[in-house]
Amino acid sequence: MQNNKAITVTGITKKYGSVAAVDNVSFSVDDGEFFGFLGPNGAGKTTLIRMLTTLLKPTSGTAIVACCDVTKEPASVRREIGVVPQAMTSDLDLTGYENMDIYGRFYGLGSRERTQQTAYLLETVGLTSRAHDLVATYSGGMRRRLEIARVLVHKPKILFLDEPTIGLDPQSRHVVWNFLEQLMADNAMTIFLSTHYMEEAEALCDKVAIIDAGKIVVLGSPADLKAQIPGNDIISLLIDGLSDHITAMLNGLPFVHQVKTEDNSIRVYVDSGAKNLPPLLDALKESGGKVLSATIHEQSLEDVFIHHTGKSIREEEAKKVSFLVGAGIPRKWGR
Amino acid sequence: MAATRNPDPRILRAIGVFMIRLLAVIERDLKKFKRNPLVIAMSVVMPIVYLIILGNSFQGKLVSLPVALVNQDSGPYAKRVAENLRAVEAGPGTFSLLAMKDQSQALEGIKKGIYKAAVIIPPDFSKKVVLKSGPEIGLFLDNTDGISSENIRNIVNAALRSMKTEYVPIREKYEDVQLREIDLYAKVDYYQSLVPGVVIMAIFLGTLTSGAFNLVMDRFLGIDESYLLTPLSKSHIVGGLVISGLSITTIIAVFIFTVSMFITGIPFSKGIEQCASIFIIIVLTTLCLLSLMFVILGRVDHPRIVGILSGFLNVILFFPSGAVYPIASFPGWLRNFAKINPEAYAVDALKAILFKNANLTYIAGDIVFLLVFTGVMMTLAILTFKRTI
Repeated sequence: MQNNKAITVTGITKKYGSVAAVDNVSFSVDDGEFFGFLGPNGAGKTTLIRMLTTLLKPTSGTAIVACCDVTKEPASVRREIGVVPQAMTSDLDLTGYENMDIYGRFYGLGSRERTQQTAYLLETVGLTSRAHDLVATYSGGMRRRLEIARVLVHKPKILFLDEPTIGLDPQSRHVVWNFLEQLMADNAMTIFLSTHYMEEAEALCDKVAIIDAGKIVVLGSPADLKAQIPGNDIISLLIDGLSDHITAMLNGLPFVHQVKTEDNSIRVYVDSGAKNLPPLLDALKESGGKVLSATIHEQSLEDVFIHHTGKSIREEEAKKVSFLVGAGIPRKWGR
Repeated sequence: MAATRNPDPRILRAIGVFMIRLLAVIERDLKKFKRNPLVIAMSVVMPIVYLIILGNSFQGKLVSLPVALVNQDSGPYAKRVAENLRAVEAGPGTFSLLAMKDQSQALEGIKKGIYKAAVIIPPDFSKKVVLKSGPEIGLFLDNTDGISSENIRNIVNAALRSMKTEYVPIREKYEDVQLREIDLYAKVDYYQSLVPGVVIMAIFLGTLTSGAFNLVMDRFLGIDESYLLTPLSKSHIVGGLVISGLSITTIIAVFIFTVSMFITGIPFSKGIEQCASIFIIIVLTTLCLLSLMFVILGRVDHPRIVGILSGFLNVILFFPSGAVYPIASFPGWLRNFAKINPEAYAVDALKAILFKNANLTYIAGDIVFLLVFTGVMMTLAILTFKRTI
């Protein structure tokens, strides 16, 4: 490898007709980094991962993954990476062990290596006792763990995970998180994960790129990204009769860093939210604002998203829920 | 009372709710149908294809059956027989005559399936007509194709009859010109003649439900991504699925073949060699159809499309294959189609092996076609297969 970059993406774009699903995106991922792509469904995460993993040809731009250009040497790229797609892709008609073994053979692994790796990985994901059961009998969480284990059988340099915990219950989600953390600790591996769960990106990733409408909005470590937002707490208020006068008054308070309004709701970026909530409410009362509800929370990546896009990931999801399956990639023929 | 005459509002409401639900089911179904243009197109096209193909594959007038004419007699009567046969060729056109000198070449041609029959006029024919000493004409028939041979027999007989009335003086007691018919092979009844077709049908169904179909199912279930993401090449995927389909379909076809041999009572007259030849044709036909399916289904991602195509492909491949009715009865365009229809070559080869005891050299033409077709289709399949999503 020429440098210590695992992934280098330059101006990559994917268009469907005139719509750009991924629009001129550039970034790089260091070797050994846990890199997260955070954004609502339909933001272009799956399209980007499919381009980086050779499943889709970019309309323009380049991507160097592991060793080679994804469009020029896709076969070499595929040898170096492991990919867990968003949809469950293990064979239901095969057992967990057979799924692992056949996958290992796709990579040309010899019998001894396969047996060792399969046994080790199934043990790591806690599926040894179910190894010889048909995958059709597995729960969603078990299937997901098997699929992560399966793509590690050839010891890839980079692991891609497209929304690995989508559709999993909170308990299974934590099992997957723990497993991924363990994996990073045990192996010198680069992980590229896409997710629309803020807490997932926050808990796991060294670096996060926030993506919306096909473009990277902001990129940095979760701590750095949160540091960009003024204050350290956010007080969200629902106010009856919200006016410019009230907003101006709030902006004038010494502990308030920034005020953002939307309809009747208002987000106030403050220091020490718990301490400053009573004086804030007093000030509102004096200026004639009727407070319907008030909540305080610590800043999260969700707030980073809102700060940069003016909307929340959850709202975006509600709008784009119809793209949930297959992340909006059109498929031809009789669907 | 007014209240008793009015229907119970609860019943009205129940009917209303029932109708809302029923209409919702109907609308959902119709919308899905409407949004699958290929399904609509095929539902309209299929019956018409059936009409055109089936209508032309059965009961058509036989034309241009290739018949070898070996005239070893230079006398006037032999000439007249030949003229009468030429008149049939020019008129109804049931057969097309190919004149040749060598009798054994004509018989060999029948064995190889080049000719359906050979008319042999012996050197002393005219002399025997004059001397009224029982003149004879030989008619060698490929009786494995019962429908064609029956037609040729009738027409040759008719041609000779017309000669008798024309040239034999009225008062003279004439010696009949005898047509000595020779069936070249053991009699094949219609039931037995269907066996090659049944085997080809088994191969067709086998190749449709293995090989490329598994790819369609993987796409439908969305699990194709898992192997598209590995270093597997196009040739690995296409080749691997074709070989697995080959093993499944060959087993099915051999089983069907054996069972239908017992049911119809065809003897294994030549033992191992015959069985080996049949096995080779089954394997080649399977490869041929599997690679064809790969070209056609290579990009399909819904099993519904396979269902529709299966009916269509079966009609356009099976009925014009000569498995049920001779190709010579088809109109020109359908006969031309049969020339590129692998099932027609497979049926021809199986008929030759089963009913004419032909060995592989006699069906070399069929084998070469099946091999070339497989090669072309496999190349196309690999070229057109999309390694991306």
